[in-house]
Amino acid sequence: MIKPKIFVKAGWCALVFVSSAHAAGDAAAGAKIFAQCAACHVVGAGAQNAVGPVLNGVVGRPAGTYPGYRYSSAMRKAGLTWDEATLARYLSAPDKIVPGTKMAFTGIAGDQDLADVIAYLKQQTAQ
Amino acid sequence: MATKLKPVDIAIVGMGWAGGIIAKELASTGLKIVAFERGGPRATNPDFMSPQVHDELRYSRRHELIQNLRKETLTFRNDPSQQGLPMRQLGSFLPGEGVGGAGTHWSGLHWRWTEWEHKMYSGTVAKYGKAIVPQDMNLQDWPIGYHDLEPYYDKFERVCGTSGKAGNLQGQKIDGGNIFEAPRAREFPNPPLTQAHNMVLFEKAARNLGYHPFPVPASNASRPYVNPDGVALGQCHYCGFCTAFGCEANAKASAHFTVIPLAYKNPNFEARTNSYVMKVNLDSRGKRAVSVTYLDAGGREFEQPADLVILAAYVFGNVHLMLHSKIGKPYDFKRNTGVVGRNYAYQSMGGVGALFSKDTYFNPFMGSGALGTWIDDFNSDNPDFGKLGFIGGGGISTGSNSGAPIGRHPAAPGSPRWGAGWKKAIVESYHRMTGVGSQGSVMSYRQNFLDLDPTYTDSFGRPMLRLTFDWQENEFRQLEHARGICENIAREMGAEQVLSRRERGRYSIVPYQTTHNTGGAIFGDDPRTSALNKHLQSWDVSNVFVVGSSAFPQNAGRNPTGPVGALAYRLADTLKDQYLKRPEAMVAV
Repeated sequence: MIKPKIFVKAGWCALVFVSSAHAAGDAAAGAKIFAQCAACHVVGAGAQNAVGPVLNGVVGRPAGTYPGYRYSSAMRKAGLTWDEATLARYLSAPDKIVPGTKMAFTGIAGDQDLADVIAYLKQQTAQ
Repeated sequence: MATKLKPVDIAIVGMGWAGGIIAKELASTGLKIVAFERGGPRATNPDFMSPQVHDELRYSRRHELIQNLRKETLTFRNDPSQQGLPMRQLGSFLPGEGVGGAGTHWSGLHWRWTEWEHKMYSGTVAKYGKAIVPQDMNLQDWPIGYHDLEPYYDKFERVCGTSGKAGNLQGQKIDGGNIFEAPRAREFPNPPLTQAHNMVLFEKAARNLGYHPFPVPASNASRPYVNPDGVALGQCHYCGFCTAFGCEANAKASAHFTVIPLAYKNPNFEARTNSYVMKVNLDSRGKRAVSVTYLDAGGREFEQPADLVILAAYVFGNVHLMLHSKIGKPYDFKRNTGVVGRNYAYQSMGGVGALFSKDTYFNPFMGSGALGTWIDDFNSDNPDFGKLGFIGGGGISTGSNSGAPIGRHPAAPGSPRWGAGWKKAIVESYHRMTGVGSQGSVMSYRQNFLDLDPTYTDSFGRPMLRLTFDWQENEFRQLEHARGICENIAREMGAEQVLSRRERGRYSIVPYQTTHNTGGAIFGDDPRTSALNKHLQSWDVSNVFVVGSSAFPQNAGRNPTGPVGALAYRLADTLKDQYLKRPEAMVAV
């Protein structure tokens, strides 16, 4: 029983380490990755909720709180704040991190891609 | 009494692909447009959101996106000697309802029809002579050819983000694509979807047998895509909930999130949902449409005057409205005269089941509506009609579309039919059963037609539409020929057991077969044998146009949505460039 526990923990540590190692993502590269998100999410000036909520200012925002968007109860009750590490975890496997999320997306593989898309999201504001 | 409303320029009946495309394209005219939809408004959010959209009982069994038969249905009989009876449960086909129409719950197989499929009569007679056409077959050409439609086929594929591989680029045949397709000006907007295991086996087997397999053109986006209108499509997740469902990822192209929101942006456009159009009202001479009568969600009756009426409902809706409104002469099968209701056709679905060894895992739950590998070697006019004794053909394919738990429960032959033994058999077969299917063309015949039922009325008091249809010898022969090919491919794929049965029964309206109904308001060059001219304009009432697969003179061995979209784009151009410059005149050339 002890062995798998240690194994899981080690894996989790490694993930955090890798994410933080690439904390400086490339926003320009992230803009291309965001194409995967753009069918549902809008950013920038005049953005409105669509299939998914507006993502302006999402980095640092408490989960499930963008005004006017009807979130799943799972997301509303998730108790998460979208700091970079949490966003990276969520975006790598959305329905594992928030089971019951409406976001029908298999996830972004690759830590560099995650860091890049988060760097892009950090730049997105309503202005 | 109907409340008479302020006149508008254009009334569109139906908000599926056809109505949506026309509404969007005509925005540039600045004309006042009203579109009527019998169902409700629909948007991906909130109507098709995960996880509730993956509710098989709600959508695939209880048919939430499909026509409400309590309000209107049709009667059916196999032949004119029978009494038609109302279709009280959905079965053989599933006409859509609500904004987006059948385009919300389609699978996404997005074809261009071949050159012969637009010229079935002249193409067949040129090769085999007139004697090959059976007496009772109303074999007719489209009044336009593939090349007239090519730019519109292209446009519609671009809008839908169709995933595929060209097999004929400007005449150059390309291995791996469909070498039998008509020449296309450019490659598909997106690469093919990822193959499932059964498709890999099918492709190899088909090649071994000397055939030419290719990925089915799929309007399920294989990658994130922004279409020329600026609408983003998400990447398909292969979730397996496509046919009968809305798509939560906007990966399956649908009018409700592509063309229709763009129509809404036009301040001169208005959509009236939950509005049943009862009738198109004509002037006293019956030569000009003056208005449509409709009921709103509360059952109140309104009359909406309009200068131009475009019928863009499902096949049955278009034909029913024409017959009930007396637009064009109803078809009389005894004399083979009249035009409205003529040349109804369908498709024949055949093929075999294929059970593989116990260590085979097809993972059928991973799929996409149009994910499949196909051959056209026995489709279109590729079979030798003279030798085989039939006209037409069928596409042969395998796919991975849905492994949903209620719909898919295959058990090996000889398994118990119920109880614990049955359940065990399903567990043992689920992952190793696949199929090789055929989708056959169906020709049109004198005795297969649509008219008004003399006995039954719908909930609004209108005579129901009556469908008279049965399989004919030509189609049985094609089906039987295709079955043999399917068997060979399944064996070559390595199936341990091939489950195959000769089908010769009468057409039944009960089990689901396919929502590929065609004809009834066909277009042509001769007003004696077609309801519409080559511009989809009624020969008799020149300010009425009718668009949809109701215009097809007969059905091909592939899905109809590609040409429906292409015809809608072409009609929009016809209206803008020709008709609206000389309203109410017959559009020439």
